[in-house]
Amino acid sequence: MIEWIRFVLTALFLLGGLFILISGVVGQYRFRYVLNRMHAASMGDSLGLMLVMLGLCISQNDVFVILKYLLTAAFLLLTSPTSGHLIARLEIATNEHPEKEMELMQK
Amino acid sequence: MTNRNDPPKNRFVGWLMGEENPLDDELELIVSTSQQEGRDVLSLEEAERQEEAEELRREKLAIDEKSQSVRIHSWAKHQGAHWLETLYRIAAVVLCGAIIFFLMTTVVALPPFGAENNPYNNEVSQRYIEQGIPETGAVNFVAGMILDYRAFDTFGESTVLFVASCGVIFLLKLNDHSSGKPSRAMLEAEYDDRHHEPKNDGILQFAAKLLTPVILLFGFYIVLNGHLSPGGGFSGGAVMGAGLILYLTAFGFEDTRRFFTYKMTRWISCLPLLCYAGMKSYSFFTGANHIPGGVPLGTPGAILSSGFILPLNICVGFIVMCTMYTFYALFRKGGM
Repeated sequence: MIEWIRFVLTALFLLGGLFILISGVVGQYRFRYVLNRMHAASMGDSLGLMLVMLGLCISQNDVFVILKYLLTAAFLLLTSPTSGHLIARLEIATNEHPEKEMELMQK
Repeated sequence: MTNRNDPPKNRFVGWLMGEENPLDDELELIVSTSQQEGRDVLSLEEAERQEEAEELRREKLAIDEKSQSVRIHSWAKHQGAHWLETLYRIAAVVLCGAIIFFLMTTVVALPPFGAENNPYNNEVSQRYIEQGIPETGAVNFVAGMILDYRAFDTFGESTVLFVASCGVIFLLKLNDHSSGKPSRAMLEAEYDDRHHEPKNDGILQFAAKLLTPVILLFGFYIVLNGHLSPGGGFSGGAVMGAGLILYLTAFGFEDTRRFFTYKMTRWISCLPLLCYAGMKSYSFFTGANHIPGGVPLGTPGAILSSGFILPLNICVGFIVMCTMYTFYALFRKGGM
């Protein structure tokens, strides 16, 4: 019984993660502006990968392997939003007319 | 800037140190005094005549020169270019023919595909697998192969990396003045760097602060464990170089220079190459003369085992790290 619950949970998390990753890929090709595309890509990188990692953690018995997965997840959670942030910052810094693409909040 | 009117102590040393020659662009012709003195004696008429004759001579000379240069140039433009083109075509055909001939003779001499006694079915790979661990002491076959059986080849690869970083330094490094002050090009590069890069990004700095020690530690682990697990000097050095580049991107050159200077880079890339050469010369010498090398292989699987492979891995790792960092820093700013 407990094996079955574990299997179903793993499958659910893996499929959810894969769905998010695929939607990120689709968004990257369908959106037009850099920031929208970057949002899709970085969402897949963080949420999708976290779900996949969670599913893999549930599927494993070995504590050491689970710790490695958690470490990997921690590093991914640290690095991929940072790179997304840098890309966004570079886009804002180099785009001369950002108001053409989006509404800017007035300071 | 050095004072231009100051005569340099030793012109050759000054030229070696990259000083500007104060005499550059300031040379002037010294008119010989005898001509001037002689002119006073001559009468006005004679002087006029002489001047006319001089002018005529000059004009004639100019016309001669011009016609001659036109003739030479036209020859180079027409016949010469034609000859050169013909020669070039003949040489190209001959070269291609020679290459085709040699390649085809080699192809004809190749053994048939899939035959039993082909060279790749020889005893070398079998010996690596069967005798690799007792002979090199490395559990990782690949490390045993590239740093023991084929260490000379790996030495060549490390030298290629070293020469590549030397070439990049030679081409892209901006020199500071001999007085120690940064030159104008350096200041410009510094300004460009500050202007275009997102400086003092808090998020990146936080991530780099957490990640850089881990990345450097992981890279060093890969280097140290090269003879026990997949990895080794090349991959570990690449990881360490990536960690340094991350730190440099986050905190800039000022902070990185506190622990990783240009001088240090030079030492770190030269010393391991010398150590590699020394160690491998020693083992080649002893091996060729059948003298026991005196380096214990240790028990396979222990961290201190497999003879020279561990120090060689460390050498290669440092060379790769310095090469990566040098490339990044020099392509970004032309300095460190």
